[in-house]
Amino acid sequence: MELLRDNVEPEDIALFSSFTLCATFWLLFSTLIGVLISFKFPYPDFLAGPYFSFGRLRAIHTNDAFYGWASVALVGAALYVAARTSGVAVQNKRFAWAGLLFFNLAAICGTVTLDLGINHGDQEYREWVWWVILIFAAALVSSLIALVSTVARRVERELYISNWYTIGGFVFTILLATTAYVPVYQYGMGQVAVQGFFMHNAVGMWFTFLALGVTYYALPKLLNRPIYSYSLGVLGFWTNLFFYPMIGAHHYEFTPLPWWFQTLAIVFSVGMLVPVWAGSGNFFLTMRYSWETVRRSYALPFIVVGVAYYLVGSTQGTVEAFRGLQAIWHLTSYTVGHSHATMYGFITFIAWGAIYALLPRATGKRPSLIVTGLHFWLATVGVTAYVVFLSVGGTEQGIAWASGNPFIASVDAAAPYWAGRAVAGVAMFVSHLLFAYNVFLMTLAPHGETMKYERAPVVSA
Amino acid sequence: MNRGMNNVWTLIAAAALIYAGYCIAMGVVPGMAMSHLQPLPGVKPLDAQQARGRAIYVSEGCSYCHTQNIRPLAQDKVFGRPSVGGDYVYSTPQLLGTERTGPDLTNIGLRQPSDLWQYIHLWDPRAVVHDSIMPRYTWLFEVKKSAAAGEVTVPVPPDYAPAGGGVVVPTQQALDLVAYLKSLKQAPLPKAGAK
Repeated sequence: MELLRDNVEPEDIALFSSFTLCATFWLLFSTLIGVLISFKFPYPDFLAGPYFSFGRLRAIHTNDAFYGWASVALVGAALYVAARTSGVAVQNKRFAWAGLLFFNLAAICGTVTLDLGINHGDQEYREWVWWVILIFAAALVSSLIALVSTVARRVERELYISNWYTIGGFVFTILLATTAYVPVYQYGMGQVAVQGFFMHNAVGMWFTFLALGVTYYALPKLLNRPIYSYSLGVLGFWTNLFFYPMIGAHHYEFTPLPWWFQTLAIVFSVGMLVPVWAGSGNFFLTMRYSWETVRRSYALPFIVVGVAYYLVGSTQGTVEAFRGLQAIWHLTSYTVGHSHATMYGFITFIAWGAIYALLPRATGKRPSLIVTGLHFWLATVGVTAYVVFLSVGGTEQGIAWASGNPFIASVDAAAPYWAGRAVAGVAMFVSHLLFAYNVFLMTLAPHGETMKYERAPVVSA
Repeated sequence: MNRGMNNVWTLIAAAALIYAGYCIAMGVVPGMAMSHLQPLPGVKPLDAQQARGRAIYVSEGCSYCHTQNIRPLAQDKVFGRPSVGGDYVYSTPQLLGTERTGPDLTNIGLRQPSDLWQYIHLWDPRAVVHDSIMPRYTWLFEVKKSAAAGEVTVPVPPDYAPAGGGVVVPTQQALDLVAYLKSLKQAPLPKAGAK
C-alpha cells in the first residue's frame, strides 16, 4: 500500500518523534523490569538484594509502563492528531516540550524513589510520592495547554471526536490525581474507598480515553473512509464518563466497604458494556469489507488486536465483577492476566498502531516490513499466552484455596503457569526490541524512503 | 464562535464539572465517611517500634503479595473472622492488598508468634517453607563473626547459613518489622447486645 506523507511543520515532526523515542525507552525499561520479576516466581533467589527485590520492582514496572510508556506514547500521538484534525501546527509548542520533559522527569524520580523504598503506600498506580506526582501533574497541565490551544485554533468548524476523547482524558486525570493525593479524607477504610476509585479511574479515564481518541483518527485515516458512526463515538464518550467512575469499588469486594457500595460498583460494571461495545463495534464496523487493506497495512493489524482486546478485556472485567466469580478469581494471578489484557492487549497495541500509522506520515521514513511483522506476531502470541497462563493459573490458585488445602498448595498449583508467563514475557520483550528498531528507522535513521505528500490532512465524518 | 460541544471550552467545562462531581461523590465523600469509623474495643494504635516496622513493610512492598483482608468466604476462615471497618481505624497507609500470592497476614501474630521463626523466615523463607517463592530479606540482617552480648542470633539451619560462616544477627529494621508482624492479631468482636 502506498503511504502518503502528511504536510507537517518540521518542529511538529521533531515533537512527535521525541515523544515516541522517550516512550520507547520507557517501554523497554519497564518491561525489562517486568520480565526480570516474572523470573522471580520460578527462581525466587534470582537477582537478590534490596534494589532488585520484587516488592520494589513491581511498582517500578507498573508505574513506568503506565506513566512512562503508555502516557508519553499516547500524548505524543494525541498532539499530532490534534494538529492534523485542526489543520494547523501544534500551538504553544513550548508547553508540549515542557510536558515531555516533566513526564520523563517524573518517571526518573519515580523509579529512583521506589527503588529506594520511598513510596506513597503499596497502592497500585499511586505509589509515587506526592512531589513526584506533582511533576507528573505539571506534565499533564503543560501538554493540555498545547493540546487545547491547537484545537482552539482549528480551521475546521467541527471539533473532531478524537479531540473530545483526548482533551477529556486530560481533564479527568488532572482532577483524579488531585482527588487521589489530598490526604485529609484518607484514613484506614477511607483510603481504601479512595484507592478503589483511583486505581480504576487511572486506567479508564486516562488510557482508555487517549487510546480511543487516537483510534478515532488513525483508523479512518488508514482505511481512507470515515468512521462508521460519529454518534456511537459520542455515545461512547458520555457513557464512559457516566459509568466508569462508579465501578472502582469492585476491586474491594468482600471488604468492609459497605455492601451496597460494592453492589453499585458491580451494577455499573455491567453498564460498562455500553461504551465498550459501542466503541469496539464502531471500530469493527468501520473496518468491515476492508480486511484486504488490513492485511496489507503495517499499522492496522495492531489496531485490530487492540480493539479486540478492548472488547474482550473489558467484557472480562464486567464478568469478573460478579460476586460468584470474584470469590474464586479475586486476589489471584487471574487479575494480573486481566490487567495485561487491557493495558497491553488494548492500550499498548493501540499505541503501536497509532505510531506505525502516523509517525511514517510525519517523518517520511518507513519501518521495516519484516521487523514489523515479527513485532506483531511475537507481541500478539506473547500477550495471549500471558493472559491464558495467568487465567488458568489464577483459577487453579482460587480453586486450591476453596478446596481447603494448606496455603502452599496454591503456590504449587500456580507455579507451572507462572513459569509459562515468564516465557511469554520474554517473547513480549523481544517484540519491544524489534519495535524500538522500527522507531529508530522511522525517526533517527539517516534516510528513509521518500514518500509523496498528501494535501488534505483532515479526516471528518 | 462555535456553539455547544463544538466549542472546546464548553467541552472542557462540561467534562470537568461532571467529573468533579464524581470525584466528590465517589472519592471524597466515601473517603470522609469511612475515615473516622469507630475502632473495635481491642484495636489500639501501634507503639513506636511497631510503627517503624510497619513503615518497612510498606517500603518493601509486602502487600503486593500479602493481603490483610479476611473476606466473609469459607476459604478465608483459616485466616480468622471476616475483617470489619473497625479493624482498620489506625491502618494508614492502608494495606488490604489486591493479591494473595502469599498467605493473608491479618492474624500472623497469632499464627507465628515466635520471633525466631520470623527471623529465619525473613532471612530465607525456604529454610522453613520448602516451596515458598518469597524473596530473601537478607539486607535486614548482619553477618558477624560472633554476636555481641545481648544480641539475638538467628538459628539458621546449616543449609541456609551464610556461605563464609559467622552468625546472623537481625538489624534494628528486622527487629522492628518482626515487632510489627507479631502485633498483627485480630481483636475480638464485641458480643451481640453489648455496647
